[in-house]
Amino acid sequence: MFSYYFKLGLNSLKRNPILTTLMVLTLAVGVAASISTLTILTAMMSDPIPEKSRNLLVPLIDNGPVLGYEAGKPQEQSHLPYRDAVAFLNSKQGVRRTAVYTVTGAIEPTQPNLPVTSVAGSATTADFFAMFNVPFLFGGTWRVEDDANAANVVVISKTISEKLFGKDNPVGKRIKLFGGEYQIAGVANTWQPSPRFVNVFNNQSGAYVGEEDVFIPFANAIANKKNHDGSTWCMGDKMGPGFQGMLDSECTWIQFWFEVENAAGRTAVLDYLRGFTAEQRKLGRYLRANKDQVFDVMEWMSHRGVVSNDRKLSVWLAFGFLLLCLVNTIGLLLAKFSTRGSEVGVRRALGASRGQIFTQFFVETAVLGLAGGLLGLMLTFGGLWLLSQQSLQIAAVARIDWLMFFATFALAVGASLVAGIWPTWRACTVSPAVELKSQ
Amino acid sequence: MLKMKNLSKVYRTHMIETHALRGFEIDVKQGEFVTVTGPSGSGKTSFLNIAGLLEEFSGGEYFLDGVDVSGLNDAGRSKLRNEKLGFIFQGFNLIPDLNLFDNVDVPLRYRGLNAAERKTRIEQALGQVGLASRAKHYPAELSGGQQQRVAIARALAGQPKVLLADEPTGNLDSQMARSVMELLEEINAKGTTILMVTHDPELAVRTQRNVHIIDGQVSDLVRKPPSLLASQASHGAGVAHAAHAINA
Repeated sequence: MFSYYFKLGLNSLKRNPILTTLMVLTLAVGVAASISTLTILTAMMSDPIPEKSRNLLVPLIDNGPVLGYEAGKPQEQSHLPYRDAVAFLNSKQGVRRTAVYTVTGAIEPTQPNLPVTSVAGSATTADFFAMFNVPFLFGGTWRVEDDANAANVVVISKTISEKLFGKDNPVGKRIKLFGGEYQIAGVANTWQPSPRFVNVFNNQSGAYVGEEDVFIPFANAIANKKNHDGSTWCMGDKMGPGFQGMLDSECTWIQFWFEVENAAGRTAVLDYLRGFTAEQRKLGRYLRANKDQVFDVMEWMSHRGVVSNDRKLSVWLAFGFLLLCLVNTIGLLLAKFSTRGSEVGVRRALGASRGQIFTQFFVETAVLGLAGGLLGLMLTFGGLWLLSQQSLQIAAVARIDWLMFFATFALAVGASLVAGIWPTWRACTVSPAVELKSQ
Repeated sequence: MLKMKNLSKVYRTHMIETHALRGFEIDVKQGEFVTVTGPSGSGKTSFLNIAGLLEEFSGGEYFLDGVDVSGLNDAGRSKLRNEKLGFIFQGFNLIPDLNLFDNVDVPLRYRGLNAAERKTRIEQALGQVGLASRAKHYPAELSGGQQQRVAIARALAGQPKVLLADEPTGNLDSQMARSVMELLEEINAKGTTILMVTHDPELAVRTQRNVHIIDGQVSDLVRKPPSLLASQASHGAGVAHAAHAINA
């Protein structure tokens, strides 16, 4: 019987086309608004490294000054000072650990026909690539000894590699970078986690666009006095002169990650942090009462406010709008079904039970929902395009995936069925005798 | 085939109680062609609605083909209606956006028959009313008489035990009315029980039996031997007069 009801539903779309168009449009607009905003929110809130996001941990300790501190107030800084980053690198905590800070500069190509290329990248350690599953096109990471020796080695992105060397394998070749000569250890294949969780605010373009052009050893960047190109948090700190002054200060600018194998590993890291800050307190540091914390990837994204409250509010508003559309659809369905009394009467007389009439009209509203979903999908693409004009960040995530594709239809059909319950119930409870008599 | 004993139907509002039927008794045998007459408001429609299981009754008993309908729920009544009854309405009541084939198909769908059997029955029924070639046409493309023939085909397709006809010729001119009546007589001759409400005394005298309802009760039961039918039809006398003559 379902195929029969479905066919009747398709036929009913043709009946009273103005009313049908209004209903489909109402549903489609509501669904498109909801799915557009939801698509962006879910993309922004998605787990960038689901296979190990619970095992990658950011340590957070509050090294701010006691002066002006209010107990219970959340700490402002999210990074580490250099000295603590070095201590953590040497801690042997977790299975891997890495420090990251942003470096920028230029590559001077050896070929005369190529211009100088500005690059932005990360100063980090060899563990970085394995920790964050960075794929390689050629070669691989530098050796652990290169970290220890602050060697002039570099991993370049696929984009930079193609710009400088075309499709050739450049591993082993040398490039002029940041004023020095670096040997290429590897070429990272396209690696664009969304959001860019490793150092979420390390790039002017934000948390969702762009990729690292180059990676150099952390120790090398420090040895070459490469300044951090990004936010640095200094508060009440007496900083000495020059780069060494920065290294010796309490200014926070280095993002740190531990990789552990399980929950016990997380506990061990937290215990280590507590022990570390307890030791440092004896030296007059870490005098604030804020607790030491560790965050996994998703906790860290939430803590850093990668998705703004405005963005979440916009989704609620869109669903509120969908609710209004549903109320409107209920009214339109009531109007449509109210003209069907004689048909209900005839069908009842010919043997349809109340349940069969209910099913017929319910399937009819589902068909309406499918039509609304189809139009809603087209409007969603339009809506996403409009939203993507707002910023590069939104443009980077304003893409519909299969889940959202089916969610559009599910929402449209679900919404139409919810809207259809009352009108359908009214239609199936009419008295056939009265309806037949009124003809 | 259709038996009502001491049946009553009361419509209640908060202000008033209306007794549409009271102490209503009727026993229609298989194969009978019965007309139901009576003035407006006498209870004819209530009787037909109850007989067609479209309305519930307030008291008494009703047996349809031996089934006591009083204990049935909506699904049970719908199933019984679908299997035992066929309806023909004064306004034809075809579904306008279905073609003739699909209109006749409606009761068969609810019967749960397979596609092949439905097709056979639909073609047979449309053939029986002379409209097999118009199966893909829509009701609006037909005359009133043709639409009523489709309605009859729709009723016949279900192979009902009882055909309930409510003023089936009321919206037709005399020629078409005669043609529809002849079709009903033909169907009855093949064994289908027919119960027909009519205001037309000419039609009433053509049937084997006329039930006259006044104030919700059967006031007259006129049984006529088939031999009298033809002569009474030709006289065209009113039901009351005809009944009086036979009773006298």
